[in-house]
Amino acid sequence: MFTKSIRWHFLLWLAFLLVCILGGFGATAYQLHRTNRFNQIDEDLQRRLAAVTGDVRGRPPFGERGDRRPFGERGAPGGRGERPPFGGPDEPPPFGPGAGRLPWRPPSSGLEMPSGFPDFRPRPREIRLSAQTLGQFDDTETNACYFAIWSREGTLLKSSTNAPLALAVPTRIGSDTQSHTRMREPVREAFHFTEMGECVLVGRSITADLNAMGRFALWLCGAGGAVLAFGLGGGWWLAARALQPVQDITLAASHISAGNLSKRINLADTHNELGHLAKVLNSTFARLEGAFAQQKQFTADASHELRTPLAVIISEAQTALSRQRSAAEYRETVETCLDTAQQMRRLTQSLLDLARLDAGQEHIQHVDFDLAEKTRACIGLIRPLADTGGVEIKCDLSPAPAVGDVDCLGQVITNLLTNAIHYNKDGGEIRVGTRTEEKTAVLTIADTGIGMGTDDLPHIFERFYRADKSRARSDGRSGLGLAICKAIVDAHGGTIEVSSEVGVGTSFTVRLPSARL
Amino acid sequence: MRVLVVEDEPRLLRNLAKALREEGYAVDTAEAGDDGLYKAENNCYDAIVLDLMLPRLDGWEVLDRLRKQKQTPVLMLTARDAHSDRVRGLDTGADDYLVKPFDLPELLARLRALIRRSVGQARSRIEIGDLLIEIRARSVTRAGEPVALTAREYAILEYLALHRGEVVTRTELYEHLFDESDDTLSNLLDVHVFGIRKKLGQQLIATRRGQGYCIEL
Repeated sequence: MFTKSIRWHFLLWLAFLLVCILGGFGATAYQLHRTNRFNQIDEDLQRRLAAVTGDVRGRPPFGERGDRRPFGERGAPGGRGERPPFGGPDEPPPFGPGAGRLPWRPPSSGLEMPSGFPDFRPRPREIRLSAQTLGQFDDTETNACYFAIWSREGTLLKSSTNAPLALAVPTRIGSDTQSHTRMREPVREAFHFTEMGECVLVGRSITADLNAMGRFALWLCGAGGAVLAFGLGGGWWLAARALQPVQDITLAASHISAGNLSKRINLADTHNELGHLAKVLNSTFARLEGAFAQQKQFTADASHELRTPLAVIISEAQTALSRQRSAAEYRETVETCLDTAQQMRRLTQSLLDLARLDAGQEHIQHVDFDLAEKTRACIGLIRPLADTGGVEIKCDLSPAPAVGDVDCLGQVITNLLTNAIHYNKDGGEIRVGTRTEEKTAVLTIADTGIGMGTDDLPHIFERFYRADKSRARSDGRSGLGLAICKAIVDAHGGTIEVSSEVGVGTSFTVRLPSARL
Repeated sequence: MRVLVVEDEPRLLRNLAKALREEGYAVDTAEAGDDGLYKAENNCYDAIVLDLMLPRLDGWEVLDRLRKQKQTPVLMLTARDAHSDRVRGLDTGADDYLVKPFDLPELLARLRALIRRSVGQARSRIEIGDLLIEIRARSVTRAGEPVALTAREYAILEYLALHRGEVVTRTELYEHLFDESDDTLSNLLDVHVFGIRKKLGQQLIATRRGQGYCIEL
């Protein structure tokens, strides 16, 4: 299924990762930009706030005093905020200690002063701003700033012409004289309370900045989308490229079948991880091929070994029947046929034994017994054969407790003894020893026979292997004896080893577990 | 006719040699590949029965080396019956292929056919005037009347008839009709030819002085 392919999964993960990275990056970039912009705005506001505050504290520069109304200044918030009850002169209050610093108090209602009398009641302080300060609030500018000044009681004393209608007096917390900023969409304002409790506020519209930030966010999204698309396309291509060797290996491996095991995966590039995989697969195929070849050889050998005696029997019988024969000739034919049939019977028995051992069907009993005793019994049975061959058997049998199937192991001992006699020289000897070594029962059977070369030694436990090709089959032996010995010993969890020297002799060592595991 | 049997199973070898001798062949035997190759290279056989699995030198190798020198017909005899083995056997230069266990009559028939074909005689009967030689039955009739020949006489007549028109030297006759264990005295060949002439007439086999015998076309 396509959706289950590695490529698809890789792409999904890549998409997830890219979205996370790009999202994080975009959000951070936007946040930084926004913070930076607001800092700039705030700095600007603070600067203007400082200028206005300076004027409010009553140190307006001379020459500017009441001569003219600078642009943008209103004597009092005309028609907007609350008009002060006294449309007083431009002079600051001339009396009172700390004039200009006293808070302005609203007139008490019901205490109307008769006209014509000079009014000596404290009047709200007239705020005068220098032209330089007022120049900073040019409402023709885009992002023009505005200002507003409130008395301690919250009466609007002065504001710039471009101040928004919905001005709100900041609330004072405690007696702090720090400057603060606040956001009232779509304006940002900085305010400050003087020591006298007057509130100075400077603000500006940030609509344009917010729009710019929105555009920036959009741009980030667009760029992020493009990077994502490009990244995914690249990922798709990369995945295809990275998976190509896997496809090659799959294709090559699919061409290797039971009938065609000699093929191998082409190791054009063995330095990467997939090359390593291909190497491992190739070595597996090589082992498989070896096993197959061995099995094929075994089948061919078994077929050969069975067909040949069959050919003897058929051809003997057909020759005998082709014409009239004497009784002696018939007898000879029957004897040959019988001999050959017996040979076939031994061979089929051996093949069956091996097949059962291979399949693990041969039921191996685990019985405690003394290997020395069993060896002695086997020697007793085989001694007539040794006498016929003129071979002397010397024993050194120490008790060696072992666990296993007595009959099967008896077959091993008999096979090894028969071999030792068969390949011995006239007047030779066989040394048989048993002993116990580190929880194993050890049996050694050494002959003084013809021995074997180092070329043959690794193969002698192979089925139908014959060290001496010239003696092939003339002795009527199956060529399976040692293979069966090894299979039996293996089934017991033991080992069988051989050492040999041409002309000196051969020595077999069998090790069996001496106690139940 | 003289054949070589190379087979490592002694009982089969003995039996094949016996059966072939009873068929009138002179038979040499070898149990190993190298022996077989040596004999095949140094004697003139009309056919070789060659087993594949042989000690020391296997059948493929024997056949391969033999084909570099001689075109003696070879009947391969083997217990390997895989299709690829048969193809390989025939491709290596074997003329025929029999899988063990084989039928003896079939082996004998194939051997006869091999020998016949190798001298350019496709049919199994040879007619010379009113004389008819049936190779399969090893019988000779003259004008419909059976003629009784001894095995040696028949063998000489068959050989000369198969090589009709050629002068066959005495040596060649010896080589092809007597196996290595035969210790026949040379004048016996004359005795056998004399016997044939007595039974089938003087004109059939001509003697070329100093060269040999010939049945003319």
